[in-house]
Amino acid sequence: MRTEDYERPERDHDAMACGYTTYDDAAGPDAEKAATDGEVPATGAGATGVERDVWQALYRVEDPEMPVSIVDLGLVYGVTVEDGTAAVEMTLTYTGCPARDMLVEEVRRSVAAVDGVDSATVTLVWSPGWTVDMVTEQGRRSLREFGLSV
Amino acid sequence: MRDLDPSVDTAGADETAECPYCGSTDTEREHPKGPSLCRSMHFCNDCEQPFEKFA
Repeated sequence: MRTEDYERPERDHDAMACGYTTYDDAAGPDAEKAATDGEVPATGAGATGVERDVWQALYRVEDPEMPVSIVDLGLVYGVTVEDGTAAVEMTLTYTGCPARDMLVEEVRRSVAAVDGVDSATVTLVWSPGWTVDMVTEQGRRSLREFGLSV
Repeated sequence: MRDLDPSVDTAGADETAECPYCGSTDTEREHPKGPSLCRSMHFCNDCEQPFEKFA
């Protein structure tokens, strides 16, 4: 028998990896931008109203690899809220960060869940590039407590 | 001889790190990458413990 004649597994186009999970194809940033205009990193100091609530939501998002807020890691570059639409600009420690889609999606969901925010967009920004100098004092303390040298 | 894996051929090999356990700076960088891309692996010559540095 020729090897081409053997029956092979066929793809079931309706199959889902898990029948109880809703898969979201929309993961990933809404946009990418070369450079940001504002002072970086941003920490939400002086924010008021809904913007302050958005910052609070961002402070609760922690890096998937260490128990430190993404704001304290210096990853957030800017937040604006206009007419119920929140726009977050953020960066990652590496362009090839494996947690990219997960983190971006978590930020988008957390911000969209804030009272007074109808929709949220996340833009990844690569300039200025993130450095360890952008970690806040609280971030340094948390990283040391976690057992990492900073 | 095989070429060095490009991931270990990076700048900053002599960069000092402070040991998070005993505070010594008599440490060596063993690898520029750790369990995640933003962590490097080091060894403390004083307390003889491996540790990681952020970024």
